[in-house]
Amino acid sequence: MSTAAKTSAHPNSPPPGVVVPESREESASVLVRRWRKFKSMKRGWYSFLILLSLYALSLLNPLLINQRALIVSHQGELRFPAVTEWFTDRLYAAKDLGQRAIGECNYRKLKEQYDAAGGDDWVLLAPYPFGPNESLMEELEGRPPHPPQQGHWLGTDDRGRDVFARLAYGFRISISFALLVVFLDYLIGVAAGATLGFFGGRVDFYGQRLVEIWAAIPFLYTVIIIESTLKPGLFMLAVLLALFGWVGISYYMRGEFYREKAKDYVAAAIAQGESRMSIMFTHILPNSLTPIISFAPFAIVGSITALVSLDFLGFGLQPPTPSWGELVNQGKQNIQDWHLVTFPLAALFATLMLVVFIGEAVREAFDPKTYSRLR
Amino acid sequence: MGAYFARRFLLMIPTFLGITFMVFLITRFVPGGPIEQMVLQLEQGGGKGGETGAAATAGAAQNTGRGSRIPPEVMAELNKKFGFDKPVPVAYAHWLWDVVRLDLGKSYKYDTPVIDLVTARFPVSIYFGLIGFTLAYLVCIPLGVMKAIHHGSAFDLVSSVVVFVGYSIPGWALGTLLLVYFGGGSFWNLIPLGGFRSPGWEQMDWWNKITDQVHHTIAPVICFAIGSFATLTVLMKNSLMENLGQDYVRTAFAKGLPEKRVIFVHALRNSLIPVCTGLGHAIGIIMAGSYLIEFTFNINGLGLLGYNSVIERDYAVVMGVLVINTLLVLVGNMLSDVLYVVVDPRIRFS
Repeated sequence: MSTAAKTSAHPNSPPPGVVVPESREESASVLVRRWRKFKSMKRGWYSFLILLSLYALSLLNPLLINQRALIVSHQGELRFPAVTEWFTDRLYAAKDLGQRAIGECNYRKLKEQYDAAGGDDWVLLAPYPFGPNESLMEELEGRPPHPPQQGHWLGTDDRGRDVFARLAYGFRISISFALLVVFLDYLIGVAAGATLGFFGGRVDFYGQRLVEIWAAIPFLYTVIIIESTLKPGLFMLAVLLALFGWVGISYYMRGEFYREKAKDYVAAAIAQGESRMSIMFTHILPNSLTPIISFAPFAIVGSITALVSLDFLGFGLQPPTPSWGELVNQGKQNIQDWHLVTFPLAALFATLMLVVFIGEAVREAFDPKTYSRLR
Repeated sequence: MGAYFARRFLLMIPTFLGITFMVFLITRFVPGGPIEQMVLQLEQGGGKGGETGAAATAGAAQNTGRGSRIPPEVMAELNKKFGFDKPVPVAYAHWLWDVVRLDLGKSYKYDTPVIDLVTARFPVSIYFGLIGFTLAYLVCIPLGVMKAIHHGSAFDLVSSVVVFVGYSIPGWALGTLLLVYFGGGSFWNLIPLGGFRSPGWEQMDWWNKITDQVHHTIAPVICFAIGSFATLTVLMKNSLMENLGQDYVRTAFAKGLPEKRVIFVHALRNSLIPVCTGLGHAIGIIMAGSYLIEFTFNINGLGLLGYNSVIERDYAVVMGVLVINTLLVLVGNMLSDVLYVVVDPRIRFS
């Protein structure tokens, strides 16, 4: 690959802190070598591990942060309210579990009740027994938003919902959303860039003009206008953002395809009589992955920021979806409640920072630029 | 070169048509459009004087059942007023013809011509955007140069942290933090809660006018500047580093020029090229930032006008702001291309 050649062309200046095990395992593929190099960059690698485990943990949010109990043993019968609600949306009524109340059971009170009764019934609450969309107005003193306090270290929002629970669920949504947007971006961007770069000529000329037109659309304002009228759900919003986000990656892909298609292996594939689709996607694409991979973390940063910004403006996901931007918006309206702005932005900042660290390491591993200072 | 720019200029036309037609279509076919807004107003008996007031009484007189409360002739009149009686292409052509004559229609919320609203708000947006951008350039270019010269030093590493932090905080997010901590909430009271100027600014003496304006300017401008801080600094640094590795720099050193002269006269001039050409795109970035930052600081600029008009479904204003925004982006892109040729003599378009 061209980048590998570039690195070895400057033997005097190896990137700092990088151990290249080339002498030991000469046969390792380019991707494997780059993966090892990525792992050797501690800041990026640990950021990657932290983010990955946080995201994996957040996928289990319903078992960790939930007002519904994990297990309820009532009159010798076991029930699993959190799991039931997670997979089937079914809720347990208070009276079915022996609680004197109307509507859904309050499991924290149920636990107190069972403990006080001292019978065989018991409740296993979630580790953090408050939900993201559950109003705690009746249990807490004063008017919402409640400041940080014992049991609710990050306070509650203006509807009395626990901020930590909303942040944790918002993290899961933000990351999932960003991954979805980037995937769709790539789907469109790679297809468009590959087509323009591979066919070239007139296809490229007119295609590029169309891409330029598309890129000149005022993205944020147009999305707001469409949002305000269509009120899309999570998937449609992702599609909408992807429709405006693919242009950057298509430029990279177009360049890569232009470069790669002139190489001998492509000529060999053509001589073998392979179809264009096969040449484009099984021969050229695997050799053009460098920009795709090194661009991805920054695309994720962009998508997370876009979602939080839209939520902040009130044109993001539909309420009551837990969202960081919506919390900041509340904080802007209640500026004496510093916790509504500080904690979501700290979460946003920490997440973006981790992704940026990963991105720096990935770029260093996949697309190293070695600058040699003359003199 | 003239032919190239003529072609670039001509390309702006289909771009403009494409964007406006797309949004025009959307505003025509969505529920809750101007007609529905009007009907709602009539049903609540809250007409706004004149023609609509008469229509409201007519509507109220006919107000018998839950079904069609608005008489068909009033409905037809409304449709005609908003151009909904014509097929879309015809209506679009009419709208376009008006735009060409600088008539952007009339806001039905403010009851004033859209062009007046837009021209009144435009200087406010440009004021914050330009100061913010100038500030960003004034900080980022020297910082990027220093980082490139002292690449790998302690200064480089520490300033990289600052750059990372700047990259991970969107401008509006910093804005809300500033408001909460310095806007007189639970902490310090150093900056106003927003707005372009204090009420009663016109009556102040010149000294208070200036201090009040500066007072209202600082926080939004910092937020504008941070938006491009990280990318601009890194761009400057990488650009200069790349040039320092070029052969002409070796030649300059070899013929015995002092290091300062080689860096600041030879290399810096060439490395400023990508930074300069970004100036044109800055207009688009300023506009995009203005929606979020004007919303954050409640500044009555173009961005907030656009935002409010979307909320109120004042479609004449929505389209007006879109037209101005699109034109600005297109002119900015064009400007970037011109700068490319002006700044970099190696580029020749044919």
